[in-house]
Amino acid sequence: MSVRYQRKQYWNEPTMNWWEKAYLPEVLRGLFITTGVFLRNMGKWVTGRRGAVTTYYPEERRPDFAPRNRGKHVLTQRPDGSVQCIACNMCATVCPAKVIEIEPGFDANDPAHPKYPVRFEIDYSRCVFCGMCVEACPEDAIRMAPDVPNLVSDDRYNMWLTMDEMMTWRPQADVAKPYPPKPTLPVLPLVRDARGAHGVAGGVPSKH
Amino acid sequence: MSENRPEKILEFFIDGHPVTAKDGQTVIQAAREHGFDVPHFCWHPQLSVPGNCRICMVEVESDNGDPWFDIGCNMPVTAGMRVLLNSDTVKKLRKDTMQFITLNHPVDCGICSKSGECTLQDYHYEHNGAASLSRDRKNHATKFYPLSDRIMLDNERCIMCTRCVRFTHEVSKTHALGAVYRGDHSLIRPAEDANFNDDVYSDNVIDICPVGALLSRENIDNSRVWYTEPTASVCPGCERGCNISIWHRRQAWAFKALDPKLNTRIERVTPRENPDVNGPWVCNKARDLAKILERPRAEQPMIAGRVVDRADAIAAAAALLAGAKKVVALVSSWGSNEELAAFQLTIAASLGDRLTAWVKADHQPVPGEVIEDDILIKADKNPNRHGALALFPPLPAEGLTAIPADADVVLVWGEGVPAAALPQGAQVIRLDAWAHADNEVAAVFLPISIQTERAGHYTNFAGVVSDFAACFTPAPLVTHAETLFGMLLSAEVGVRRASA
Ligand code: SF4
Ligand code: SF4
Ligand code: SF4
Ligand code: SF4
Ligand code: FES
Repeated sequence: MSVRYQRKQYWNEPTMNWWEKAYLPEVLRGLFITTGVFLRNMGKWVTGRRGAVTTYYPEERRPDFAPRNRGKHVLTQRPDGSVQCIACNMCATVCPAKVIEIEPGFDANDPAHPKYPVRFEIDYSRCVFCGMCVEACPEDAIRMAPDVPNLVSDDRYNMWLTMDEMMTWRPQADVAKPYPPKPTLPVLPLVRDARGAHGVAGGVPSKH
Repeated sequence: MSENRPEKILEFFIDGHPVTAKDGQTVIQAAREHGFDVPHFCWHPQLSVPGNCRICMVEVESDNGDPWFDIGCNMPVTAGMRVLLNSDTVKKLRKDTMQFITLNHPVDCGICSKSGECTLQDYHYEHNGAASLSRDRKNHATKFYPLSDRIMLDNERCIMCTRCVRFTHEVSKTHALGAVYRGDHSLIRPAEDANFNDDVYSDNVIDICPVGALLSRENIDNSRVWYTEPTASVCPGCERGCNISIWHRRQAWAFKALDPKLNTRIERVTPRENPDVNGPWVCNKARDLAKILERPRAEQPMIAGRVVDRADAIAAAAALLAGAKKVVALVSSWGSNEELAAFQLTIAASLGDRLTAWVKADHQPVPGEVIEDDILIKADKNPNRHGALALFPPLPAEGLTAIPADADVVLVWGEGVPAAALPQGAQVIRLDAWAHADNEVAAVFLPISIQTERAGHYTNFAGVVSDFAACFTPAPLVTHAETLFGMLLSAEVGVRRASA
C-alpha cells in the first residue's frame, strides 16, 4: 500500500504575494541588507571607530559584565583560606545537568567543619549556568562571579574546572555572615580521617 | 505466655477499623501487623521497651468522652479498645515531642552520614515541620567521641533512645555501652568493665541508631546515601551466609572526572533481614567485606606466568584436560550453586572416571577472628560448602596430601590451595579471582569473577538458600566460572574429537 506524502500544515503557514514568490527580488534584498551592515561596520573600523562588537576571545576578554552575570563558579573561603564548602553535595544533587562532582574528606580535629571537599570539579562543557547550585548551598560556599571560565580547548574532557581554579577569590569583606571561630572543643587525637588505614592506634583504652 | 493456654485473640479498633491482636501484644506491634504506622524512636522490634522517647503517643477513646493518652509501644491491647493514631491531640503531642527531642539537636544534616535515611529527619517533616521554638542556646557536647576503633559517637546528634545500649545488653551481650549523667547532659559512653572493641556485632548499632549519632569510622567520608543503591547479596564470611545489602554508587550518579574506582567500590554493607538466617543483624566481618572483596584482582589469563589471550588459555587448559589420565579437581566452596551445577554438568560429566572432584575450603579463619559463637558466626569461613558438598565429596581428612602422586592434572578452582602443596609432577589449571603469586606458576591460569560481579545462590549450613545479585561489571577478560566451564567443555570435546 502506498501512502501519499502529505505536507504538514502549520498554524503559522507563511502567505506570500506574487512579488515574494518571484524569489529573486527577495534574495537580492537580503544580500543588500547584509552588504550594507558589512560596509557600515567596515567603514567604522577603517576610521578607527570600532564597529562590530567582536571580542577576540581568548586573547581579549570583556571587562564589562553585568554585575549579576552568572559566569564562573567561585568557591568561597574562610578567613584562614580554607574552603567554606562542607561537601554536603546539595549543589551536586540539585544541579539539573549533574555536572558537579565532589569527593568528600573528613577531619575530626575540626569539629565545627569536619567535612570538606578533597576534590570539587564542575564540567563546564555541560553546565547550563542556571545558578541552582548557588541557591541550594546552605553555606554560601559556591557563588557565580561576573567572569568567564577561561577554558579554551577543543577537547570536552579538558573542560572540568577544578577546585584550585574556583578558589581564586577570597571575599572576606563581602560575606555577610560572620565566620565562627575555630572551635576549642577537646580534640580526640585518635579519630582517623579516611578509609584506607585499618587498625587505628588508640580507641577505647583496653582493659585487658 | 504459658504453653497450655490457647492464644487469645483480641478485637479492637485502630482509627475506627476493626483489627485483631494476640493477647499480650502492644498497640505498636498490632498496628504494624495491620499496616498502620506508629512513629517510634526508642522502640525496636527486636529489643526491650524502654518507653523513653514518647513519640509513639496514641489516644484511646473512652465511653465517658474523656480520652487518655499513652505510649503505643508499651500499652498492651485490651479487647474493644478504640485507638486513634492520628487525632488532632495526638498530632499536637507528636509535634511537641519533636520540638523537645530537637531542643539540643545540632541539625547538621548537611554533613551527617545518616541524612537521607534518618528517622529524626523524616519525622521532622512528617510530624513537626516547624523551626525550633526555643530561644535558649543549644547544649554542645563532644562531636566525635570514639566508642571503639570502629565506631564514633556524635553526642550532639544522640537523642538518648538507648537502642545502642540495649543492643549490647540484649543481642550482642557484651554490655559494652551505658548512659552516664542525667537530663540533657546524658551521654552514651563505653562501660568501664567492658570493651566495645570486643563486640563483634558492634556495627549493628550504627543501623539501629535512629539518628546519625553513631558513625562508622571506616565509612565516614562515603558518598551521601541518595547517590548509592543497595544490591541484595549474601555475606561470604562464614557458612551462616547472612543476607546483606551491598551499597554502591548509582549508575545515574557515576563520577566522570573523579577516580573511577569510586564508582565501583563497596560504600557500605548493611543487613538484609531474613528471619531464617540472620534476623536483622550481621557481624562486623560483613561490614568489612570490602577488605576481602576489594583485594587486588587477577585480570589476565596466563600460561605459565605469560599473559595470553583467553582463547589460547582455554585451548591450553582443554588440551591438558583432554590428554590427562587422572584429573583431580579442587572445587571451590565460594562457588554459587549455579556454578557448582555447571561444573558438574560440563567438566565432571565429560571427564567421567578420569576425574576426582573434592570440595576444599577456600578460606580458613584468620588469626584473631571469632571462630564460632552462639549468635551468628559459624566456624566454617566459606559461604557455600553446604551447596558444594551436595554435589561432590569433601577433601579427605589428610588434606592436599590425599592427591595421588600419579595425578597428571590438578584443577584448582578458587583460593586456599598453595602451589607448593600440590604434587610436583602435576600440571595445574587455576581459576581464581584475586592476584596471588601462585597464579603465575600454574600451567594455565584463568581469571574468574567475584561475588559482586555475578548473580547466584548459596546454601548455608542449615540448608537455607539465599540469593545474591551482581553490583558491578567484571573486567573484560574476567569470565564467570559458569561460562568458563562451558567454554572449557566445548574446547575439550574439540580436542578429543580431533585426536580420535
Ligand atoms: S549553574 Fe546550574 S548547571 Fe551549572 S553547575 Fe550550577 S546547578 Fe549545575
Ligand atoms: S552546596 Fe555548598 S557546601 Fe554543599 S557541597 Fe555544594 S558548595 Fe559545598
Ligand atoms: S547513639 Fe543513637 S542509638 Fe544510641 S542512644 Fe543515641 S540516638 Fe539512640
Ligand atoms: S555471621 Fe558469618 S555470614 Fe553472618 S555476617 Fe558474620 S561472617 Fe558473614
Ligand atoms: S517508641 Fe514508644 S516511647 Fe519511644
